[in-house]
Amino acid sequence: MTIRRMAALAAALTTLTFGNVAHAQNLPTEIKIATEGAYAPWNFTNANGELDGLEIELANDLCARMKIKCTIVAQDWDGLIPSLTVGKFDVIMAGMFITPKRLETIDFTRPYAVDPGGFAVAKDSELGKLGLSAERFDMSNEAVAAIGKLKPLLKGKIVGVQAATTMLDFVKKYFGDTVEIREYKTTEQHDLDLVAGRIDAIFAQQTALAATLSKPEFADYTIAGPGFVGGLFGMGTGAGLRKEDTKLKEMLNAAIDGAIADGTIKRISEKWVKTDVTPAK
Amino acid sequence: MPECFDHKKGFARMLEKLHLLGFAEGGRGMALLGAAGMTLILSVLGFALGTVFGALGASGGLSSKRVPKALASAYGTIFRGVPDLLTIYLFYYGGSVALTAIARSFGSGNFVGLPALVTGVIAIGIISGAYQAEVYRGAYLAVEPGQFDAAKALALSRTQILRLVIVPQLLRHAIPGLSNVWQLVLKDSALISVIGLVELMRQAQIAAGSTREPFLFYFAAAGLYFVIAGITGQVFRTAETRAARGIMHR
Repeated sequence: MTIRRMAALAAALTTLTFGNVAHAQNLPTEIKIATEGAYAPWNFTNANGELDGLEIELANDLCARMKIKCTIVAQDWDGLIPSLTVGKFDVIMAGMFITPKRLETIDFTRPYAVDPGGFAVAKDSELGKLGLSAERFDMSNEAVAAIGKLKPLLKGKIVGVQAATTMLDFVKKYFGDTVEIREYKTTEQHDLDLVAGRIDAIFAQQTALAATLSKPEFADYTIAGPGFVGGLFGMGTGAGLRKEDTKLKEMLNAAIDGAIADGTIKRISEKWVKTDVTPAK
Repeated sequence: MPECFDHKKGFARMLEKLHLLGFAEGGRGMALLGAAGMTLILSVLGFALGTVFGALGASGGLSSKRVPKALASAYGTIFRGVPDLLTIYLFYYGGSVALTAIARSFGSGNFVGLPALVTGVIAIGIISGAYQAEVYRGAYLAVEPGQFDAAKALALSRTQILRLVIVPQLLRHAIPGLSNVWQLVLKDSALISVIGLVELMRQAQIAAGSTREPFLFYFAAAGLYFVIAGITGQVFRTAETRAARGIMHR
């Protein structure tokens, strides 16, 4: 290979960069936000192939507040955190909970949504007879009693949970001795197995459950028992970013504060998930 | 009531949802077809690159020299032994980390990464090459030794022997095995969905998660995979028939 050819190759390789990546202490002017694109109604891909949903609308709103240019891309769930750390994009907004475990690897903004985790079961099952409950238990205090009440209703049942999620950690920790846990790569896989009768219950974010249960196939199923927040679920759903991007974090936090204060998050969440998921303060 | 899932009603519901697969407003037919095209491109390029690695691997494996033989053996053992998904992840994340490090050493601080398609083609090429190497090696050994002697007797040069006598016969023996590897490549291409390339599997997953209609879209994807496998399988069968012209079957 001649020198000139090598230079051409090197140039070709450098033009393959993924846009301008925000640098640690420079004020970013352009960022790339990644989402899963397959988690309706939080983030999904519409029939025209465009990304849409609560987090897409919120991301655009936050970018307008920060006055920076944003590109939103979709990435498979499993690849989100590794891709962020190697720099393929700068921010994750994909219904991702802020948890101590994740904080070991990446950083998060303040939460922009708090969405309780809950069970969905057949309406005529023991737990199903409890029906939908608006109760919310914060894992940091009174939730243990609530869990104690649920345990006998779920004894020996098979519960489907998405792998590598906080939901799984929760079920393992609090129901691991009571139920049989089955892990799924995606939420719609455990939804299918619930209808197929292969599992007795699923545990997921209540807003996602509500979206699933709105389908006619799920007419005989219901969200049952209380919702759980705090504790293992961390502080709620936040935007993930690299630890060194502290300036970007400040900017995003300010933008989220603004969106909470002027009711934007309330408006967007009521539009997409039919409830207000605005976090406290 | 949920005692038994009403399959008949379930099927009727599915028919009602068929418009989601259509090409009109709100239908995702075009997206699925486009993704099927991406699957085909990825598989064909990956398979073609695998041919190069496979040929190198086979010639190493057949070599009487120790180093090429050991390298070829290590290549085959590693990439047939390690889970394909792991290989894909290694190339995707490891590749961009390495490239970024190289770019940094040249003074550029920006992130450098190969597009998902390129990474996917390289990963599939290396994996399928490990399998193809064994196919070519076996096919080479299946060529009658008398063919080498006859070619030498005609005073052909080494390259002429390979090009004119051995490779055409070798390919004939290789086609059934290659057809097998091709099916493997087609299914491996679905694993590339994890690195963000929107091929058929990822598109089906996106549509399933976005509409909450997993059955419909996974069925459609299965159908499209079946069509691709059927058509390309026919290509291999035709090639096999053509290659066998004039051969006496024992």
